[in-house]
Order: sequence, then structure tokens, then C-alpha cells
Amino acid sequence: MSLETLQSFQWGIMAPEFIILAVAALLSLLDLFMPDKMDRKVFGYVGIAAIVAAIAALAGMIDHPVASILDDTFRLDAFSKVFKFILLGGSALVLLLAVSYEPKEGMEESRGEFYYLFLTALLGAMMMASSGDLITLFVGLELLSISSYILAGIKKRNIKSNESAMKYVINGGISTAITLFGMSYVYGLTGTTNLKGIAGQLASLGNPQYAYLLGLAFLMIFIGLAFKLAAAPFHMWAPDVYQGAPTPVTAFLSVVSKSAGFILITRVLLSIFGVTPSNGPGSIPILLHMQDYISFIAGATMIIGNVIALRQTNIKRLFAYSSIAHAGYILVAFASLSFVMFDAIWFYLLAYLFMNLGAFAVIQLVSEKEGSEEISQFAGLYKRSPWLAAAMGILILSLAGFPGTAGFIGKVNIFIGAFTGDNPHYVLASIMIATTVVSYFYYFGILTQIFFRPAAKETKFNIPTGILIVLTICVAATVILGILPNTALDFMHNHTNQFTDFLQ
Amino acid sequence: MMETAWIIPLFPLLSFLILLLFGRRLKEASAFVGILLTLASLVYSILVLFERFTAPTYKSEAAWLNIGDLHLTAGFEVNQLNALMLVIVSLVSCLVHTYSKGYMHGDERIPVFYAYLGLFTFAMQGLVLSPNLLQTYIFWELVGVGSFLLIGFYFYKEEAKAAAKKAFIMTRIGDVGLLIGMILLFWQTNSFEYDEIFKAVREGAISQGWITLTALLIFVGAVGKSGQFPLHTWLPDAMEGPTPVSALIHAATMVAAGVYLVAALFPLFAASKTALLTIAIIGAFTAIFAASIGLVQTDIKRVLAYSTVSQLGYMMLALGSAGYVAGVFHLMTHAFFKALLFLAAGSVIHAVHTQNIEEMGGLWKKLRLTGPLFLIGTLAISGVPLLSGFFSKDEILAAAWEGGHPILFLLAVIAAFFTAFYMFRLFFMVFTGEARSEMKHVHESPGVMTLPMIVLGVLAVISGYVNTPWFGTFLGDWLTKGNDSLGHSHVEGPGWIMIVATLVSLAGIFLAWLIYGKKSLSRDWLSGRGGALHTILYNKYYIDEFYQLTIVSLTKGMSYFLRFIDLFLVEGIVKGVAGFVQGLGKTGSKVQNGQVQTYGAMAFVGLAVLVVIFALTGGYLK
Repeated sequence: MSLETLQSFQWGIMAPEFIILAVAALLSLLDLFMPDKMDRKVFGYVGIAAIVAAIAALAGMIDHPVASILDDTFRLDAFSKVFKFILLGGSALVLLLAVSYEPKEGMEESRGEFYYLFLTALLGAMMMASSGDLITLFVGLELLSISSYILAGIKKRNIKSNESAMKYVINGGISTAITLFGMSYVYGLTGTTNLKGIAGQLASLGNPQYAYLLGLAFLMIFIGLAFKLAAAPFHMWAPDVYQGAPTPVTAFLSVVSKSAGFILITRVLLSIFGVTPSNGPGSIPILLHMQDYISFIAGATMIIGNVIALRQTNIKRLFAYSSIAHAGYILVAFASLSFVMFDAIWFYLLAYLFMNLGAFAVIQLVSEKEGSEEISQFAGLYKRSPWLAAAMGILILSLAGFPGTAGFIGKVNIFIGAFTGDNPHYVLASIMIATTVVSYFYYFGILTQIFFRPAAKETKFNIPTGILIVLTICVAATVILGILPNTALDFMHNHTNQFTDFLQ
Repeated sequence: MMETAWIIPLFPLLSFLILLLFGRRLKEASAFVGILLTLASLVYSILVLFERFTAPTYKSEAAWLNIGDLHLTAGFEVNQLNALMLVIVSLVSCLVHTYSKGYMHGDERIPVFYAYLGLFTFAMQGLVLSPNLLQTYIFWELVGVGSFLLIGFYFYKEEAKAAAKKAFIMTRIGDVGLLIGMILLFWQTNSFEYDEIFKAVREGAISQGWITLTALLIFVGAVGKSGQFPLHTWLPDAMEGPTPVSALIHAATMVAAGVYLVAALFPLFAASKTALLTIAIIGAFTAIFAASIGLVQTDIKRVLAYSTVSQLGYMMLALGSAGYVAGVFHLMTHAFFKALLFLAAGSVIHAVHTQNIEEMGGLWKKLRLTGPLFLIGTLAISGVPLLSGFFSKDEILAAAWEGGHPILFLLAVIAAFFTAFYMFRLFFMVFTGEARSEMKHVHESPGVMTLPMIVLGVLAVISGYVNTPWFGTFLGDWLTKGNDSLGHSHVEGPGWIMIVATLVSLAGIFLAWLIYGKKSLSRDWLSGRGGALHTILYNKYYIDEFYQLTIVSLTKGMSYFLRFIDLFLVEGIVKGVAGFVQGLGKTGSKVQNGQVQTYGAMAFVGLAVLVVIFALTGGYLK
């Protein structure tokens, strides 16, 4: 490839990625040369500034027509743009939490890494949103994963944190192996890693035997990627890792990493299996045939997450199960494959971003202050700090899906998706309703602690600025998206043109 | 004013928010926040009502949610019914806010109390302004929450806790009906909008069977909220809440929401004869059923609670007999005189610190204001001529007669007799005769409590004159103007109905006086009648025993039966499901044993299961 060809690409469309990459590199160098005694907190603020700049760059390209670099290894389409907003916004809020994170032990030597590893992880996630080639998608996935492994174990001297990183790596390795094995089938059948190329080859697939193999490949890719979503059967790492990891990392895993997982699944499965006929040209695509398997996974995930959450006494473990359950809800949107699928997934991820990160901000504050992550630490929060309690109340109501909050609208979107289309998913929707009711028990358990239990101590909370900003943004967004959901939905409709460029 | 009517519910919401955040600092001053803000919303409501007298219906909507082809809107509407309800709700709420300042004096949790009142008022006004079923449903649930919080206000009392739970669950049962009906209507008409639904009904876009089914399901919601048979049992228990709450929520506003819902959706109901007949039958039965229970109660608030259930039954009967105006008219007058009765009862309780009427007596002389005000309320509800209840009850009886249901008409007349009887029984036992237990420090309530009662007392007397056969049917003409589907502006019943109603009510009062008032008269008047005394005494016992034997034991038997169902069937299912879920959770957490091998193995097992299914089914499940 000549230099002219290289120069002919519109490298400008990668500006957000470049910004993150440059700042991450810069911070890692600075960390090396800066005296040990200097506070690394400033890294966090630089990181936030970089993300804000990346958001601005992305916003500037919002109406940019679809463009690609190097044979689709990087592509900028409507899908990647709107989802990258979620990744960037989530990471910015997580970094704000990280800046306010002051654990009692274990982080003396690794403050610098703590900040820029979030950026490299974010970079990986952004590549996952913006690539049309299996190789780069996989590299993005690994970049995200490996950064996350280190982040989970960043409290070097904390045994829980170590355990969590270890479990995360091992499970991640297994999942990667399965995913790659599935992808190798696809490559073997088509001889290309380019998603468009694959789709083109498979569209004319005549032999049903190949479709059979592709079905197996689908299952393996899907199960492998379920790891990132923390969906069944690859959910079991989540509680242990969430509990052991530093709280901002847990927040990152439950929001940004999960969103990246959904982005990847949607991109890969839709591009490859959404166009491949199952039985000769003209027959229905494989993806529609596999709907029942996705539904099965979605149902199992919702049930497992919500039911086991009932028995948790550790707030981070509880939120791990809650996060499994929410992955199940979003999978319902994916399983129904309706025409509102993108809207529903995007909106739910957006709502989940705010309500979950807000909740984690409170969790971080309370557990750090009390030195314990037991739910009973929330007892009497209303007496001790009414504002904090009110904020947490709103966020939890939203997680539970109460009217007037973003979580409610998110669930309504998914419901509508499940009920429309040629074959409505009544069973799946019923499971979703039933498990949502189950989730009331543990969500309201927290609310009972906050509002109706006497406080063990009377001390008030000093809310650090970072957490205050996160909480304000999250609560405001949760309420606004709940009352005026069209602010977000219109934004998406106006700039995506129905995602028609998804497969172009 | 009408264009900005959406501001009205924001006042109480503001009150709720202020008290939630700063209540603990404001302490008793919280009352002023609540009173002033509800007063503002009252003034605004009255202005809107006056404007609505001349201006046409105003409706404003904006897109709320667009998903695919689905467009949901949110907004508000000011039509005749809404405007009237707004004033009723705001007025009673404002008066109750004021009254509570005296009644709740000294309670530590006054800010919480006023915050809940604000939340409830907001929800109720929001409900009234809703132009579509979805919005109605959201506020419908929210009023339920407000009611739940306020019934359980004394949450340290077991009864209050149980009552709050019961109220929530019983009304939820009705709400499920409403929800299903609403979804089915949406499915059939593709809209939650009232106007769109009525249009579909008018144009026949929805079949007769669907109209009946959805109307009945929605009526189930109204049955739950308005305490109609068989979902009435929560309402008397709800009296565990503070008395001002009973006046606001469980007499004047929320329990009337069921009636309001039927009235708001009247064109839908009117299109189905079956639905109307069902409403009429349930209403009439509830009216007489609850009234008969009211005859034997000894708790002053419970008598009033059963009376409320019975009066709501009257309103349903009116609506079911196509008497739209009669139902709404009675809804209005009832709101005034029943709120008055509850507030007066609260004043009595405030003075004597008991709710048992067996322990009261002779309070007329001690409570110089409460007594006469209670009497006005009692006269009004009994249907004594020239007071508000007389005109609205007369309208309902006429509607029932014209509706062609002589049996239902008869039931309504008997219920009217019962009403007059038990209300005056209550009055005589509380206010006349000698005190039946030692009472110290009995004193009249402070002005802040009596003033709201005086306002309601005046309204209980005069509010009937907006719609009378003698001075014109202003209310009816206005309510039905420009809308043919609501029926006639008033029903021209035969003249004898009014005479029958009067006689029945006077007979009830007379009987009550003979039995319960006689103590004050026995020395000079009764002894003069000689032998009659024996019979009357006998009769008194006869009635009480009669109800003890029939109604009470029947109710008891039924309650045992229901309790049995509740204990073994409902509770069994609930426990079974809960146990199953718990067990599942237990097993799940056991598998989660911390061994990373297990985690990996689970993933592989999961994959293997799917692959095996895939292979066995020849590739595809279908």
C-alpha cells in the first residue's frame, strides 16, 4: 500500500479515537517521569478533559456521511456514532468517580495507571463500536478486556481485588477462546474477516450444510460474547469481580464494558447472520432462526440475575446481579429483532448508564465512609443525609422501572419491541414483567434501609465534588429522560436516518 | 387561565418538594407552606372554572414518546367535568390542610404529613386534568401511593400498617382490571386519548363486544378505587389514618375517582347496555349493602366510612342508569357534606379522645359549633328538603326510575331510609342524652379547625341549588352542553318521587329519634305514650339483633370465608411463589461457590446444552 493511498483516507473521522490514544500515551509517559510524590489526581482531570474533547469531536461529525478507512477496519456510521456517545459519556462519569476514590489501602503505587487504563479500555470499546472487520473488532475487544483485568486488580495489596482480577482473566480467556473458535468457522467458510465481505459471500450461500455450521458458529460467538454482557451462562464471574474490584472499576464494568459488549454483539451478529439465508437464496436469515436461542438466554439471564439478587447482603454483589438482570432486559430487545431494536437498546443503555452510575456514586461514597459494603450500611441514610437519600431513591426507582424515570421508558421501549413484529414474544415479555416484580423486592429492600431503618450513626456525609457532579448529572438525566424521553429519542432519530448505513 | 391550568397541580407538588427537603427545619411551620400553596391552587382552579363557564373546552397536548409508528402524547384538558372536579379537589384539600393545622398540632411528624398531603393533592389534580388513559393510569397509581402513605401514617400502630397494606392491595386488584381494559382499548382503537376512543365508539370502529368488555374491565378499576362491592372492605379499615385524611381522601376525592373515571369515560359506557346495567346493579347493591352495615357500627368513623361506600354506590347507580348529571351532581354535594361530617367527627374525636359512640353522648352543649355543623351534614346526607343532598339524591332516584329499573329504584329508596336512620342514630348517640363515660376537658376545637367546617357547612346547605327542579338545572345544562353522548341535562322524574324521598328520609330520622333520641325525652313525652314504649324498645333490640344475626353474621361468615381464601388460597399461592423464588435464589447462590472452575464449567455446560439442542433439532428449533 502506497503512501498516497494511506493519505487519501479521511483520517479526521478518527479524531475522537486519536484524542483518547494520544492522552493515554501522554499520561503513561508522564507517569514514568513524574516524581513519585506528586499527586496523580491531575491525570484523572486530564483524562476527563480528553473525553470531553473526544465527545466534542464526535459531536462535530454527527451528520458526517458514512465513511471508512482501510477496507472498513474503521468505519464511521450512524450506529457507531450514537453508541460511542454512550461509551464516552459513561467513561467520563466513571473517571469523575475515580478521582474521588480514596480507598484506605492498596492503591499507593498505582494511582497513575488507575487513570490512563480507563482511557485505553475506552479506546478498545470505541474500536468495537466503529469497526467492520473481525480482526480489529477483536483487537478492540482485547484492548478493553486486558485493561479491565488490570483495573480490577489494581489494588495490589488487597486480596479481594487480586482474586477478582484473577477470576476475571481466567473467565475472560475462556470466553475469548470460544468467541474466536466461533469466528474461525465464519472465516473458514468465507475466507475473509471483513464483515461486508462475509455478508456478501454468505448471501449467496446455497448449501444448507453450511448454514448448519454457521448456526454452531453463531452459538459460540454469542455465548463467548455473553461474557462481556455478564449474561447467562457466562455471568458467574460478575459477582466476584464486581465485589473485589475498586468501585469505579465496578461501575465501569457494569456500564461501559457492558455497553461495548452489546455494541459488538449487535454489529457482528446482525452483519453476519442477519443477511445469511438459512436455506438457500431467498429464505429467511439465520438470525431469525436463532431468535429462540437468544430469547432463551435472555430469559435465563433475567431470572438468574433477579432471583439470586434477592439473597445478597453485599451491595456490590447485589448490583452485580442487578446488572446481570439488566443485561437480560436488553437481550429481550435484541431477541425481538423488531424495527425499534436499535432505539430500544440505545435508549436502555443510555438510561442504564445514568441510573447505574449514579447509584454507584452513592455506593462508593457510603461504602468508603463506612468501610463496609453491607447493605445495612445504608440504614437511616435519609436521616443522615436527606439529599443523598433522595438521589439514591430516584435512581433505584429508575432501576426498578417506575413511571416518571428513565428506566420506565427504557422498559416500555423494550416491551413495545417485544410486542410488535410478526411473532410477538409474549413469553419473553411475561418473564420480563415477572422478574421485574421480583426485582422490586431487593430494590425496595435498599429503599427500606435508607428511609425506614434507624441510623447507627448520626454523622453526615461530606460529598466530594466529583461524586456531587456525577450524582447531579445522573439524577437530572434520569428524571429528564423519564419525563421527556423524546429529548434523547429525537436526537437519535434526527441523526441516524434509521441506521440505513449500517450495512452499506 | 385555562391555557395554563397545568400550573394548578404544581402548587401542591411544590409543597411536597419543599417539605420533603426542608420539612425538618420548618417543623410546625410546614403547615403554612401547605396551606398557602393549596390555597393558590384553589384560587387558580376557581378562576379556571369561571373561565370555563363561557369558553369552550381547552386541550393541549405534545408528543411525549415516539417509538416507531407509535405516538404517545401527554398534556391536559379542561372540560366541564375536569374544571368542576378541580375545584372540588382543591377546595377540600385546602380546607383539610387548614383543619389539620389544629388537628395534628403537637405531632412530631407534621412536615411528613403535609408533604404526603401535597403529594396526594398533586396526584389527584393531575388525575383530573389527564386527557388520556395512560396519564390517568399513572396518576391513578400515584393517588393510591398517597393514600397508602397517609393511611399508614401512624405506622407504629399495627392496625394502621395492616390497613394501609390492605387498601393498597385491594385497590391494586381493581387496577389490574383497569390496566387490562386500557391495553385492550389501546389495541382496539390504537389510542389512549379519550377523544379518539369516543370517536372510535361513535363511528363503530370498535365492536359492541369489545366496548362491553373494556368498559367492564375499566369499571373493575373504579370498583376497587371507589370501594364498591365486593372490593369495598379496605375503605372502612382505611379509617386508621388521621381523620383529616379520611375526609380528604376517603370521603371527598380519591374514592370518588372511580365515579369520576366512569363519568369521564361515560360515552364509552353509554355505548354498552350491559356495562351500564352492571354498574347500576353493583351501585344499588353497594348502596343498600353498605348502608345496612352502617346501621350497627359503633365507631364514629366507621359509620361514616360505610356511609361513604353507600353514597358512592348511589353515584354508580346514577351513572349506570344513564344519569350522568345526577352522578356528577351527587359527587359534588357528597364531597362537601361528607368532608364536613368527617371533619366534624374529627373535631369530636379531638375533644373526647375516643371513636366509640357508645362512650359519647350529650356533646351538643359542650361543642357549640361542631354540634350544629354535624347536624347540617347529617341533614344534608339524609336528604332532608332544602339541603344539598336532597336535590342530588332526588336526581339520582329520578334517574333510577327513568332508567327503567324499579327494583334498583326500590333498593335506592330503602338505602335512603337506612341512611337517614343510621346518620341520626349517630347524631343522637353522640350529641344528645347524657355522657355515657367520664369525659374531662371537653372543649370546642380551635378556630383553625372550625373555620373549614363552617365553609363546608355553608356549601352543604347551598351547593344543591345549582341544579334544582325549581330554580333551573344550571349545572346539568352546563355539564352536558355540546356533548350529546352524556344524556339529558336533567331527568324529569314524576313528582311523587320527591315526596317519597322526603317521607322516607323523615321516617328514618323519626325512627332514629324514637330509638336513640328518646332518652332525652322519655320523662315527659315517652311516658305519655305508655304502652308504645315497650314496643319501641323491643323494636330497637329487634333491629340490632336482627342485623347482628343476619348482616353481621353474614358479613362475618363471608369474612371468614374470604379470610379462608386469603389465608390458604391467595397466601398459599403467594407463599408458594415466594418460596419457589427464594429456593431458586438459594440454589443459585450455592452454585456461586467462588470456584472459578465452576464458573468456566457453567459457561461450557450452557454452550453444550444449546449446541445439543441445536444438533438434535436438526439445526433449528422450528
